[in-house]
Amino acid sequence: MNIKKVFEVRGHARGGQGMVTAFEILAKVFSYSKNYEVQAFPFFGVERTGAPIQAFLRISPDAILNRSNIYNPNLAVVFDEGLIEQTNVFDGLPENGIILINTDNHPSFYKGKAKNIFTVPATKISLEKKLGSKSLPIVNAAMIGAILKILDAGIDDAKIIISKEVPSKPEANSQAAEIAFQSVVGFTDSSFHKTISANIKLTASPNGLLSVPYWDKPMSLNKTGNWRVFEPVYINRQPPCTENCPAGTDVRMFVKLASEKKFEEAYSVIYSHNPFPSVCGRVCPHFCQQNCNRNIFDEQLNIGAIERFVGDNNSSYHFNPSPILYKEKIAVVGSGPSGLTAALRLRQMGYPVTVFEALPKAGGMMRTGIPEFRLPEKILDREIQKITEQGVKIILNKKVSVSELENIFFAVVVAVGSHIGTDMNLQNENEIIEGINFLREIKFNENRKSICKGDKVAVIGGGNTAIDVARTVLRLGGKPVIYYRRTRQQMPAIANEVEEALKEGVKIEFLTSPVKLEKNKKGDFKITMVKMKLGEADDSGRRKPFPIKNSEIKISVNKIIKATGQVFDDFVFADTTVKTKQGRIDFANENIPVFCCGDMAWGGTVVEAIGSGNEVASEVNSFLRKADYAKSRRSNDVVSADQINFAYYLPTPGNPNPFKKVKKIFNDFTEVVQGLPSNKIVQEASRCLHCGDCFNCGNCFNFCPDAAISIDEENRLRIDYDYCKGCGICIRECPCSALRVEEENKLVETE
Amino acid sequence: MKTENNFLIEEENVYCGALSCRGCGWSLLARHISSVMGTKTVYVVPACCFSIIAGPYPMNMLKGTVVHSLFAAGAATATGIRHALERQGKNESRVVVLAGDGGTFDIGLQSLSGAAARGENFIFICNNNGAYMNTGVQSSTATPMGAVTTTNPDGKNTNAKDLMAIIAAHNIPYFATASLAFLDDLKNKIEKAKTITGFRFIMIDSPCPPGHKYAPELSIEISRLAVETTFFPLYEAENGKYKINYFPKKKIVVDELLKQQGRFSHLFSNGSSKLINSLQKHVDVEWKKLLTKVQN
Amino acid sequence: MKTEVAILIPKRKEIKRHTKKVLKGNSAAAEAAKICRATFVTAYPITPQTTIVEEIASMIARKEFDATSVNMESEHSVFAALKGAALTGKRVFTATSGQGLLYAHEVLHAIAHLRLPIVACNVGRPSYPWNIWCDQSDSIAQRDTGWIQFYCENSQEVLDTIIQSYKISEHLLLPTLVVLDAFYVSHTNENVFIPEQKLVDEYLPSRKKSDSDIDIDNPKSFGGLVAPDMYDKFNRLFWEDMNKVEDETIKAGEEFEKYFGRKYAAVEAANIHSGTKIILITLSSITTTARGVIQSHPEVGLLKIRLLKPFPKKSILKILKKVNGACILVTVDRNFLGDNEGALMQEMKRALYGRTGKIFGVYAGLGGRDVPPSTIEKIISIDFNSAETKEIIWIDK
Repeated sequence: MNIKKVFEVRGHARGGQGMVTAFEILAKVFSYSKNYEVQAFPFFGVERTGAPIQAFLRISPDAILNRSNIYNPNLAVVFDEGLIEQTNVFDGLPENGIILINTDNHPSFYKGKAKNIFTVPATKISLEKKLGSKSLPIVNAAMIGAILKILDAGIDDAKIIISKEVPSKPEANSQAAEIAFQSVVGFTDSSFHKTISANIKLTASPNGLLSVPYWDKPMSLNKTGNWRVFEPVYINRQPPCTENCPAGTDVRMFVKLASEKKFEEAYSVIYSHNPFPSVCGRVCPHFCQQNCNRNIFDEQLNIGAIERFVGDNNSSYHFNPSPILYKEKIAVVGSGPSGLTAALRLRQMGYPVTVFEALPKAGGMMRTGIPEFRLPEKILDREIQKITEQGVKIILNKKVSVSELENIFFAVVVAVGSHIGTDMNLQNENEIIEGINFLREIKFNENRKSICKGDKVAVIGGGNTAIDVARTVLRLGGKPVIYYRRTRQQMPAIANEVEEALKEGVKIEFLTSPVKLEKNKKGDFKITMVKMKLGEADDSGRRKPFPIKNSEIKISVNKIIKATGQVFDDFVFADTTVKTKQGRIDFANENIPVFCCGDMAWGGTVVEAIGSGNEVASEVNSFLRKADYAKSRRSNDVVSADQINFAYYLPTPGNPNPFKKVKKIFNDFTEVVQGLPSNKIVQEASRCLHCGDCFNCGNCFNFCPDAAISIDEENRLRIDYDYCKGCGICIRECPCSALRVEEENKLVETE
Repeated sequence: MKTENNFLIEEENVYCGALSCRGCGWSLLARHISSVMGTKTVYVVPACCFSIIAGPYPMNMLKGTVVHSLFAAGAATATGIRHALERQGKNESRVVVLAGDGGTFDIGLQSLSGAAARGENFIFICNNNGAYMNTGVQSSTATPMGAVTTTNPDGKNTNAKDLMAIIAAHNIPYFATASLAFLDDLKNKIEKAKTITGFRFIMIDSPCPPGHKYAPELSIEISRLAVETTFFPLYEAENGKYKINYFPKKKIVVDELLKQQGRFSHLFSNGSSKLINSLQKHVDVEWKKLLTKVQN
Repeated sequence: MKTEVAILIPKRKEIKRHTKKVLKGNSAAAEAAKICRATFVTAYPITPQTTIVEEIASMIARKEFDATSVNMESEHSVFAALKGAALTGKRVFTATSGQGLLYAHEVLHAIAHLRLPIVACNVGRPSYPWNIWCDQSDSIAQRDTGWIQFYCENSQEVLDTIIQSYKISEHLLLPTLVVLDAFYVSHTNENVFIPEQKLVDEYLPSRKKSDSDIDIDNPKSFGGLVAPDMYDKFNRLFWEDMNKVEDETIKAGEEFEKYFGRKYAAVEAANIHSGTKIILITLSSITTTARGVIQSHPEVGLLKIRLLKPFPKKSILKILKKVNGACILVTVDRNFLGDNEGALMQEMKRALYGRTGKIFGVYAGLGGRDVPPSTIEKIISIDFNSAETKEIIWIDK
């Protein structure tokens, strides 16, 4: 490099980016290692972190005979490209002047602004080297590197001086300088001709010239918005409750409406995804609740109780039949939660729908598998009635196969559920009562005598069926013991139900599995049980149990009921082997499209069946309307507990469901779990954290130091980006994570 | 704190565009004071960051009259304005001094004491960010022990002056402390001060990202921690009767507050646990003293 | 003896619309504050000023004077409070002395640059070591603060100058310091004709409302940060107004004569004519003694500088046109500024730049050292034409 006469550099940066230090270091580089005369000085303004500032640098082989600011720099350096909009960084640049801009853009992006344009991604480099913060990257070292490159000055001497002079992180700073030195990209705009640009200096007083130094112009003349590097935006994020509802219910919304006592609106919100609020309010495992962010704070919201209340509260609500819009008739096989949900959705879309049910009553597993003491039949009847009110036709006592339906229907939705017990591969297994059948028979009042008072009953399994069976046995006078091969933690049954069963007197033996079954002459059984231990987690993440050698014990029982899972009844496919899955399936008979949903496709709970029904209805509709079908997708932006600012919430005890006081459990099939009264529901719903949903707490508005947040005429919060400096307080203090930071789009519009 | 904070500013009496750093306590405080005080207020601003924030020529951040006063003379200038306005019969107008800790604890103490002792009828608000921030973070007598400033590069080795005790000694009708993290309380206090006649004093614990060395977004969180750790307790005294406005739910050690701020980082890096302990002790002693005052 | 401007009051028993009282200079100042209807008065006690604030306080207590008086804690606070009060458009007054004025130095700048028409009295006294007697170094040290400065010879002039000062100050939006000598004026009882209130009101109506006053219904900000180019502009406007002070002083003096019968100007010349061989240039009370001495020295003239700041160059040059080139100018300085020359000498040299003729500077009477006629005689007896005579002379050994 060879500077023959005084070379002038003018820098534009924001307070806090380190430009003044950078120019000082450059001066030292040129003085110490190259023996030049130097001058480096800031325009000592009232700079505040983020506010635009200027600094100057002169390098000369001879004495510098000028001590004024620089107006016509040989090189203008822009430390922050956002400044290009705010101040005229090109001002006074001579025809052959050079400009260096910190940006990710290619220099040609600024074509027409100067003849010699260079760019360097100094912010990116500095952030990679962890210099400064996201909101204020300290880019000075990188800019030193870039300036040295332009001045053709070499980087090695500078690196030593940088390490000595920077206040912290000498290594990272000198590396940043070197990377930047290598990363400068240049562009010469040979067609560039300088035009006279506007003066950037403050023009004469807008007050007129007054002798007394007073003034009254609003501060808002000063637009601080371009100090901002990262900008806050309001967002509506997915709460974990809604995210985890298999039916897709907007949980947060109905909870909010309930807290405002808008129970009817809450009902509509639930109903748009779930036609069984009263049922689910009772029997759903409430994945919403299990994932509630309040869990780590005090205790989860009792969303189940709210859903139950909203469902029950609107029990007298009546629907009108939906209009028929399409001629394509649809058959649904099975009237369980998935079948009825799919039927209702399709009916609401305008299709004529007929549901075929093999049993004398509709409801599927809700009817047959869930005992009265958990789900009173009248509740189920009511919700099914609302579905038929809307025009869904249900044909009972009609077991059909798909082939019977072709030529009449344009599509078949198969939702026959899983009712057929699975084998445990034990001898004499046919002697064991199948749990699901047992429950059905009790429900239909057919075989209450299957258990005699005092019977010792072994129940095999760990799911809800096992629990329901055991509790039913108890009510029939038996003495149930559940044998489960894993631990309580692994039990698929709803935890509350397990708890309740234990309270009622059900005994559970964990890590125990039957290996041998003998029947004695009296008709009683001798079971050989083996103790299990848990091994490593398998692919599904569940720890698989293994038998412990020589741990066999023998027990004697009067009855054995197994509840170890079920499979679907393939009668519907007329004994052809079909691989079931959610949605359209491959079916040998191509005359009619067949879709599957419900337990036979995925899940195993009522709410999953409902979700499956919703999904299949959309798929059928897309198929019939020849539209593209896209499976509804889960959000990848769910509010987690660590994103909640718990400083703004008070720990508040929850409102658990009360239980009926049972004096004598024998023969008492009345509902055990009771609902909450309306005032408690409002109280409970008010505990909602509003994850990801602004609830007008006022924090962002109240805490904004720059008065950049206001409430518009529609009562919505607005950020005034002309003034927001991007401090991030609103985001940090938002209790419910309804604000997010976004990187400023700093691209300048080209002319 | 509770969830229903709601919108505390009914009338925005500041203009946007203030020349304050990101996350500045001063400009946030100005919003809340001005919204309570209304536009018929004369703000007297002795030299401090707010001298700049309030607006260089030709702009004014506050919707109100602003008189920039000399560093030492905040309370004295306000005295003159107050009396002159009263002579004009403008009794509905309000005079509020907005001073930094330098203009209150140090160079401004003489005129503050004079005005307080005379019972001048105005409000003196101290935005205490614990150092001379306007000039680039030099120690004031409000700087807490342990804090690094450019004039105490190894950390200050004495505790901050107990200015509130000095204020209390003037027997004024109202004085209070307030925090920007507890805006309901802050607003109540400004409103209360507004209705009282005589000399009123409010000390605000003010966050300062560049001075205290932390990311701007943490301003409120750090202010809240100062209250939660009783490093900066919230209290008020009306006619000498003390009342604590906020009792922390659970005792949080002062470390939690200190480690968030770069000005205290050396306390954690080179085994200065002795200093942290003595700071904790100081905080505990002061809190106990305060509890005694409330009982009396 | 011929005088250019007749300020010496003829010996009279009474003047129309005036009341004759025997008053100290300090009392005349207090009286002036009252008849000028200052509404906000504050001062901090300091000898020899103290009686001014005491008299004002007692007049207010007796309800003869309708003003608010506040006992501030220091002169810095006094001037700061005046600044605040004056910003609201009120006429304000204070008095101080020596250390007090030096302590308030910072505020004097602020008042001047805020363009506040404050009038303050200073009873001149030096700084250190402790000395409470007559000296002008305190006010001379404030020359560069942007205040107008008048130096008064006697109690009547103190009273009259304060009245005129408000007139000039409020017209130009500049503050004025009225200086009187410690004890020789401040504590000297003499005849003073006090004009009746109505007469003062006619000459000096109440301060006009201005856009630059605090008006709570039209908020604005005062005195905040000003960028270099605007600061420069504000200074230029200040400079322009400062340049009008000499003319305004003359105008105010002429108008004063119409109302009160006493004429004032920026300077006063006595016995200056083509035959004058020596001109004594004086400030304040020394002038009176010099007047007496020159009665028997017809070749000696007297130039009293009444307006010291800004220095009335135009008036002085006009007067000096009457003398021939051989006339010797001798300044009498009762102030020591740490420089070779005293203030009057400096100012005169500035004013006379480019003019031929000899000028000598004499230090006399510092720290209240008496300047009797013999000292004046001693000055005029110096052989100024001798090559031995130094330019600056310390008259007392």
